[in-house]
Amino acid sequence: MSADPYTVLGVKRDASQDEIRKAYRKLAKKLHPDLNPGNKDAEERFKEVSSAYDLLGDPEKRARFDRGEIDATGAETPRQGYYRDFAEAGPQGGAGRYESRAGFADFAENDDIFAELFGRRAAGAGGENIRMRGADLPFHLHVDFLDAVNGATRRLSLPDGSTLDVTIPPGIRDGQLMRLKGKGRPGLGGGPPGDALIEIEVLPHPVFRRQGDDIHLDLPISLAEAVLGGRVDVPTPTGPVMMTIPKGANSGTVLRIRGKGVARKDGSRGDEYVTLSVRLPKNPDPELEKFVAAWEAGKRDNPREGGGA
Amino acid sequence: MLEYQEFCLRAELEGEVLETWIAAGWLIPETGEGPRRFSEADLARARLIHDLHDDLGVNDEGIAIILDLLDQMHGLRHSLRELSAALSVLPEPMRARIQEELRARRLPTRV
Repeated sequence: MSADPYTVLGVKRDASQDEIRKAYRKLAKKLHPDLNPGNKDAEERFKEVSSAYDLLGDPEKRARFDRGEIDATGAETPRQGYYRDFAEAGPQGGAGRYESRAGFADFAENDDIFAELFGRRAAGAGGENIRMRGADLPFHLHVDFLDAVNGATRRLSLPDGSTLDVTIPPGIRDGQLMRLKGKGRPGLGGGPPGDALIEIEVLPHPVFRRQGDDIHLDLPISLAEAVLGGRVDVPTPTGPVMMTIPKGANSGTVLRIRGKGVARKDGSRGDEYVTLSVRLPKNPDPELEKFVAAWEAGKRDNPREGGGA
Repeated sequence: MLEYQEFCLRAELEGEVLETWIAAGWLIPETGEGPRRFSEADLARARLIHDLHDDLGVNDEGIAIILDLLDQMHGLRHSLRELSAALSVLPEPMRARIQEELRARRLPTRV
């Protein structure tokens, strides 16, 4: 019986070929019989080290040894035991938990002896004989627009009456599928539980629209704000911010607010794009009418010039 | 008992494949407090699955069925062995009587 070659060379099982060569050379230098005349012990150890290196120094042989195909002397090892041998050995064999008697429960129904053999055991095992991964549980979850943008926690009610808290990551998209590992139906007989599969449906928002990581919205401004400029409150997904409207802003002018878009995985956020829309006062205003009527430059201005709308 | 890495190595299994076998219930590692551990029986079972797949050309669906039937067969053989052990301690006249009954049932029936 040869000692484990890794132990003989004093290297770890995952040592590189280089480490193995170095370890061998170090030992060989110390133990070489010519350097130890008269030392029988050293000679024995040298033989051991040499044969260990014969095996581990050759990556192919080493791999076969690691897989148990050859033993430390390099001899082929017979296949260690068929599954049958373990199954036949009974509980000590270690295969007992695979064994199934569930298919013979019908014998137990009308016969006490067979009930002893099959029935009670099968019942006592509680279906242990059938192993299956639990089924995946599909869910459909409506998420408010802002919850999808900012992230939120939602509570799902399961059919069995229990609840499941779902953490919706910021920036989740409409139609995205979330998989909660192990939150599906329990497995049978030691099988792992299934997953909860949650399909996300993001509800539309009355004001915001989403394009990728950016938020778009139309912002009505008054004629006075458009002509003279000014500061206005603009809604963003994280609350209103003040924005400066430049003098002479027009319908269709797009202003960008940095970092007020959708949260990204890396913690940054997209931007918000505000499209201005100039609105005249709701009720006709005599003063305004009078001013525009007297406004000479206004009469010459033609916004449709050049085919533009 | 074998650790995960050593089991993969000796069973010649990629970790990913091993995970699917475990998920399918083909292999049941021992799970306690620590990491999952595998027995020599698990190793022999993994080799059996390899044989079925690589040498005998059985596909995954077939392997599931074969394992299920094999597990049933071993359960049945185990039960039969228990029954045999129980019968062996019966007094001789009773054993003879059982033998008689069995023989009577095996006689060819004529129409």
